[in-house]
Amino acid sequence: MSTVERDPFILDRPTGRRLRARDSVVCVFVAALLLLLLQGESIRSTGEKMDPGIQRTAVLAVGEPAGWLADRLPLADAVDDVTSYLSPDDDLTGGGAFNAAPAAGPAAAAGGGTGGGASAPITTDSFDPTELGVNGAKLPQLKTLLVTGDSLVQPLDVQLARRVAGDGVQTVRDAHLGTGISKTGIVDWGVLSTQQAKDRSPDAVVMFMGANEGFPFPGAGGKSIECCGPEWAVVYATRARRMMDTYRRRGAARVYWLTLPLPRDARAQTVARAVNAAIAVAAQPFRSQVRVLDMTSVFTPGGRYRVAQDVSGRETIVRRPDGIHLNDAGSAVATGIVLQRLRADFETLGS
Amino acid sequence: MVFPTVQFAVFFPIVLALSWALMRRQNVWKPFVLAASYVFYAAANPLFCVMIAAVTVGNQACAQLIHRSPDARVRKRTVVLAVALNLATLGVFKYYGFFATEINGLLDSAGLGLPLPLAAIALPVGISFIIFQAISYTVDVYRGLITPATTIDVALYLSFFPHLVAGPIVRAREFIPQLQSPRDPRKVAVGAGVALILIGLVKKVAIADFLAREIVDPVFGVPQAYAAPDVLLASYAYAVQIFCDFSGYTDIAIGLALLMGFVFPQNFDRPYRAASFGEFWRRWHMTLSRFLRDFLYIPLGGNRGGKWKTIRNLMITMVLGGLWHGAAWGFVLWGAIHGTALVVEHQFRGKVKLPRWLGWLLIFHIVVLAWIPFRAPDLDLAGVYVARLADWGPATLWTAPVVIVTFLVIALQLAPARPMDALRVRFEALHPVALGASMATVILLVAATVSSQGVPPFIYFAF
Repeated sequence: MSTVERDPFILDRPTGRRLRARDSVVCVFVAALLLLLLQGESIRSTGEKMDPGIQRTAVLAVGEPAGWLADRLPLADAVDDVTSYLSPDDDLTGGGAFNAAPAAGPAAAAGGGTGGGASAPITTDSFDPTELGVNGAKLPQLKTLLVTGDSLVQPLDVQLARRVAGDGVQTVRDAHLGTGISKTGIVDWGVLSTQQAKDRSPDAVVMFMGANEGFPFPGAGGKSIECCGPEWAVVYATRARRMMDTYRRRGAARVYWLTLPLPRDARAQTVARAVNAAIAVAAQPFRSQVRVLDMTSVFTPGGRYRVAQDVSGRETIVRRPDGIHLNDAGSAVATGIVLQRLRADFETLGS
Repeated sequence: MVFPTVQFAVFFPIVLALSWALMRRQNVWKPFVLAASYVFYAAANPLFCVMIAAVTVGNQACAQLIHRSPDARVRKRTVVLAVALNLATLGVFKYYGFFATEINGLLDSAGLGLPLPLAAIALPVGISFIIFQAISYTVDVYRGLITPATTIDVALYLSFFPHLVAGPIVRAREFIPQLQSPRDPRKVAVGAGVALILIGLVKKVAIADFLAREIVDPVFGVPQAYAAPDVLLASYAYAVQIFCDFSGYTDIAIGLALLMGFVFPQNFDRPYRAASFGEFWRRWHMTLSRFLRDFLYIPLGGNRGGKWKTIRNLMITMVLGGLWHGAAWGFVLWGAIHGTALVVEHQFRGKVKLPRWLGWLLIFHIVVLAWIPFRAPDLDLAGVYVARLADWGPATLWTAPVVIVTFLVIALQLAPARPMDALRVRFEALHPVALGASMATVILLVAATVSSQGVPPFIYFAF
């Protein structure tokens, strides 16, 4: 580490001519104006997807007029056509959107939808042969494991993938950060779950989601159903049940749906309790294929938030500082619980 | 707030326009830019602003005391106190959890049931950069290199939003003089600023995030699932990713500052063309290298105390430099590898002469190898990762875009600088309207490569 005579500055190298301060403002505003004209709709939709707060207000203050202007100009579509080949995302073009059906409130939500109805048909796949002790019933092989959800599923997804990699299991990790069942702006989980099941045909699906819930659902007559009463839980459970039905692929796959450890914040706890209640109700018709794994009592016994708990005989921090997510150690605990259940259901998994 | 986001795109034009409008009225300009910087920082968590305000007030009080005291012992004790308080702040936020866990483990294995209390402490974004700059201010006052600035100048120095969260680590004596008179509105390096912002955006969003998504994150996440060809390519790809991610951030930071009339030191100079470790550290994270040199290596005695003290000083500097990145054994190992390499290089200097190409090949591959514990989630997985390099099997992630992008970035660092510089200078000479149109075009193209997950945080935000 030798001493440098003089520390280099960025303008020591050859640069173009110096302009005036006014030119820097002109340059930035020309860029901003072009972006408003070409991407106004995108700015507005980004603002709409943001969580409530001052940043959302500021972005919408610019995005709404820009979006209004962009709606009246054909430029945004042209830009999308030109740049769409660069997009890394798969198009979610399949069916199954939550919002495709007309909003009709919890009563209709509870009764409608393929496979999501209160009176799901009872067929042979409702029963687990091994549970019934049928002679010759063999545990299936786990070849493809889908681990999905929102930010809660990280780093559980990667830990699970590591633990099963030696068993020849192909793990598909598909986390969608900032999304939720009650928040369809970024990702509609109705469409996404349909596409995941179709594209990957997983033998098992691990779902851990709920960090971004609590948004109102559209209800009948243009009214919205606010979180977190029974009406909200009905719609949530209906959507979750539809996803479970999609993932279980008519009995060909097992679904492991993790309940939420209660978060630190009191308001978020109310949402988490509603989500957990909805998950339990949603899974009822599919109990032979859908396992609800209780993370609530593991991490927050007695409904009490705690940062640390005993892990392998040592007091260990299991939550992240945000009071919502599990840290590496907490995820390792959850991974162990999921693996234990996977081993009970599949033949190929070793220790 | 992250640079490549809609929030920042709304924030910056307003701040830039008002900043130049108010520039001549410094008594208004300074509170305005300070407020804007705190708004920028509060976007991550408003409570972090309390931390930065406390660091500002504490260091300013110590600097004033050092400057006013005629007693050398008081001055020395004060600077020691200031450095200790700064390091304690860093220690509580950044290292408490790591050391509490390690010490509890030791106590447990010794059968002593006296665990330290465990707490999940939120890490303020960029705290290491803020603390290092605060140390640089107080120590430079102690050394007589600068006189104490006004409190608002110190607050602006520590919180100026372009460099607030991930550097470059600007020294007080480089930045505070720029605050002492209004920036000249007739001499603004607009073209250079725009060029740097665009280069930084492409590096971060189109290259670093692309490589992370396509190969680095999958392979480093579950190395057991991949054979040697994928593991090898992921190693090169991570070397490119971390360079593009970090240098992309500092390019944008330096470019934004230029548009506001401020000049920052250079932070990267094509580091992967280095043919020695000394050269690598003069090209990689240059502002951290000189900070470690001036505030750690030289105060420890540098290379003045003979062979063994030089070795000791190099190892201490590099291991602490590694630990600066975070509380994990992987960073310590990374620092130790670089320290050992510098020691070996120091011992063989003048005795062994390698051809430059061979030196480059050797250094580059040791640097790539050292990134493995730096990136791996823990040392066990780093070991698994290295072991997979010996397990030949199919290449499942070798796609043309990944291979081309990885090796093109490395090749560009080895290419002569002059043609690229000439191209950049021609771009910088464009009319401001053309520069603005170019900026919009590049932003549109780069934005199209962003996944629905949005732009991941810069790697160095966590440091």
